Amino acid sequence: MTQTHVAGSSGEDALDRPFTPGTLTELELGAFRESPVSDPEVRATDPKTREFVHEWRNASYNCFSSGHKFCREVCPVMQVSRNESWTPTAFHANVVAMEQGELEIADVAADYVNCTQCGACELRCPNTLFTGDFYRFRTRTVDVVKAVRALAVESGIHQPQWQSWNARTDERTHEPVLGDVPVSQEHVRDWAEGLDLAIGGESILFVDCEAAFYRTSVPRAVAQVLQLAGYEFGLMGEQWCCGGPAAEMGYVDQARRFAEHNLADWRATGATRILVLDPHDYITFTEDYPKYFGAEFDLEVVLVVELFAELIRTGRLTPSVSIDRTITYHDPCRLNKRKGIWQEPREILRAIPGLVFNDVDHVTQWSYCSGGGGGLPVEKPEMTAAISANRLERAAALDIDTLVSACPWSERPLGEAGDGHDIDVVDLHELLAESLGLTVGGSRGDVGDRRLGGGGPA
Amino acid sequence: MTITAERVDEVVAALRHVLRADQVLTSKADRYNRARVPAPFPVHRWADRLPDLAVLPESTEEVAEVVRIANQLRIPVVPRDGGTGLTDGAVPLHGGIVVDVKRMNKIHEIDLANRTCTVGTGINMLKLNEELARHGLIYPDDPASYPCALVGGRIGTSGWSLIGARYGHTRDLVLSFDHVLPTGEIIHVGDGIGRKITKSSSGYQLKHLFMGHQGTLGIATRATLKLFPKPEAELSPFWAFDNYDDAYACTGALARAGVATFAGAVLFDEHKVAYLRRDDEAYIPQPKDVRALVCAVMYGYEDEVRPAGRRLMRIARDHGARYLGDEISAGDWAARHDRYATPLHGRTKAGQVVPMSWHCEDASINYTNLPAVTREWHAVVAGLRRKSDVFDDWGMFAYTNGSTGADYLTEIDVGIWEQQLDDRAWELWVRAKRDLAGVSLSHGGSISACHGSCREGEVDLVPDELGRGFQVMLDVKRTLDPNNIMNPGKYLLDRAYEPPEART
Repeated sequence: MTQTHVAGSSGEDALDRPFTPGTLTELELGAFRESPVSDPEVRATDPKTREFVHEWRNASYNCFSSGHKFCREVCPVMQVSRNESWTPTAFHANVVAMEQGELEIADVAADYVNCTQCGACELRCPNTLFTGDFYRFRTRTVDVVKAVRALAVESGIHQPQWQSWNARTDERTHEPVLGDVPVSQEHVRDWAEGLDLAIGGESILFVDCEAAFYRTSVPRAVAQVLQLAGYEFGLMGEQWCCGGPAAEMGYVDQARRFAEHNLADWRATGATRILVLDPHDYITFTEDYPKYFGAEFDLEVVLVVELFAELIRTGRLTPSVSIDRTITYHDPCRLNKRKGIWQEPREILRAIPGLVFNDVDHVTQWSYCSGGGGGLPVEKPEMTAAISANRLERAAALDIDTLVSACPWSERPLGEAGDGHDIDVVDLHELLAESLGLTVGGSRGDVGDRRLGGGGPA
Repeated sequence: MTITAERVDEVVAALRHVLRADQVLTSKADRYNRARVPAPFPVHRWADRLPDLAVLPESTEEVAEVVRIANQLRIPVVPRDGGTGLTDGAVPLHGGIVVDVKRMNKIHEIDLANRTCTVGTGINMLKLNEELARHGLIYPDDPASYPCALVGGRIGTSGWSLIGARYGHTRDLVLSFDHVLPTGEIIHVGDGIGRKITKSSSGYQLKHLFMGHQGTLGIATRATLKLFPKPEAELSPFWAFDNYDDAYACTGALARAGVATFAGAVLFDEHKVAYLRRDDEAYIPQPKDVRALVCAVMYGYEDEVRPAGRRLMRIARDHGARYLGDEISAGDWAARHDRYATPLHGRTKAGQVVPMSWHCEDASINYTNLPAVTREWHAVVAGLRRKSDVFDDWGMFAYTNGSTGADYLTEIDVGIWEQQLDDRAWELWVRAKRDLAGVSLSHGGSISACHGSCREGEVDLVPDELGRGFQVMLDVKRTLDPNNIMNPGKYLLDRAYEPPEART
């Protein structure tokens, strides 16, 4: 028997049994044909908001309609704030409310500061897990957040610290990572002092602002390891900030201008390959630049972590100096969650002799973050510090003395939080360089220099 | 219905004596994001459901102070925990203060010897279990919203657990809790007064009274929970049938078998399989003659679960089941249970794919009445579809409520294109909701096994279901909440404050 008989009804039409919509004839549907459906009305009145809503409402409705909120407990901001207004769910629901004309950009702009753009929510979303194949679509909270921030800036609504940060970046061509100490074009290569690096060439090593001016031990380590492996590379003629942070904070025109400068500079010196040591730059060059320039952007973008893992695999690098540390690895969000890169860093760490490696798997680390991304430390340093403190508590439970990261932007807040636990925060590239017998030099930032005496042997 | 701006200022000023500035939220976005839950929501009437402000207390004492102030100023209080409930418990109907407990998420104690833990009610079960796993323990309260629901919401709704047949439901798993009454007094309720007592005969059994009230009797703030060894083995066989009747008979036999590790059985009806086949990406394609599915799940030690599994396999085979194999079984359970896959699109009758919200309507129905309720519920949803393409029938599940197979959480899933809701469609929906509840009662069931029953439509029939018991509810409400400040408008409890002759 199949389930076709309806008690208390005459079984008068095809709707009384399971059917696949679209397979019934008009006759079978009887009087109950399609009721008219059309795209929902956009009730927002501001033209910029209407345009934004048209682009993002269906993506937002997919989250709104799920209502699952599985993202909530993996969100680093939610973990420390426990404020439902600052969740991926709210970031999508606000768009639905804007569609309905209930909320305006001015009502919500400040809430969107509270996101590190780590991407954990997108991975945890049931929509990403299962409907992705059907729609060729995934939950894109990071893009929604970027779009709302851009709409805010375009509408003249600024967050004070972001506005000043981007104005200073624009003026100096680099982010003001040293606070009151100005950064400038004359000093962007200071980190390379004594390394005798060329300018230009086919492969260009791009060094992000934080590494170039603050944690200079990272680019020094990378450059020296490349030299040791005999890998030819040069530095940019005139390097500007990648523009990624401006894009993340909503200053899209500025981001685009910086990108145009950098591309022109690479063209001028004949570059075909960009070596990237910072995960944030890696996102910018592999996602933003292709969006700006389309097929014209034909340069190869190489992540140094992947390159080093390959050089170790093929025997061109052999770490041999034993390093007596008990470590765990912090998966940088932009590598692990946004790019799915988590194997190579572990490969490198396992090749270093002497290390005791208390690893935490990369899926568990979906809910870990330093709080250092998405402009959060610029506008809300106290929240970044809380997120880093949360991360360090988990590290401390593993009985380790060193937390290894592979992202310069994470290392400042993590290092400050680590100090309280007597845990060193060391960069993966630094550690590899040391195990290759190199003396790195440079600075590991205020906390790192105090604890480790700069970029010398740890 | 919200209060005036001056009144909000007065409330905020009073609250600031007990809370910091970052604990009192008054912005528009703060309020819009605390107006809804995943239950069908009339987006076109969002503004009608806004609170006036929200607070984020961090201790029982702060909650008590907030409630005391609200009671003095006669301002409604709406408790909000995970905000994942499906009967609108956390949706403000008369504005007021949303008390959002998410910051009370500490683990205060893990008592390994007595196998209990004490937590703030703002903690999520998955996060709690991450900590308990270090000790080889588990808190097995397992709703569909397991990764995001909070312990406090489970208490306020008296939640239902998917593996309740093995471990019990929230009411069995929560031993005791601190609770703030509508007047701001703090009480402790449990079996007797003990914090870790699992069975007491002393006094009235108040624990059940303060569970499932949907926030109308106060706010639970700290709870002591029962813990179990984290199970070593999971077995989740799936079986296919070419008709509903055989699948139904098999489900009953599995549940009645009395296998100790049996944690639940799920029956997928023909509409459900048809829906999964047409629109669910997680559905693993099956031959066309597969029209109904059954799965069972067992938890325990390896040497308990294996022989138990063999017994259930035998029972299923005797009922004409086709076992789908180990791989599909484990994968499908992971998809439906661990990841809770739900397709977020449905179709118009002509087959156009449209974005839709998944909405599950539930009831508690005795085994023998499942087929009749199943047929009549589909007829109600067919009626909706005849009138509007905003609705789609996504089929039904029946889940065992307990270990003996007496009754089942019966669920019909309805796709709703919420973006298209207008007053007419909303009215159709509310009427359908009432009809579904009417069917359940006419078959001796309860309006809800899991969600609660205080939404528009269904709530009209609660006095019918409870009879004289509903009058007792009114008496209790008036006694404990003399000023009707706790979640007013829910469960028709406003009637408690009308003159006696008007209370029908």
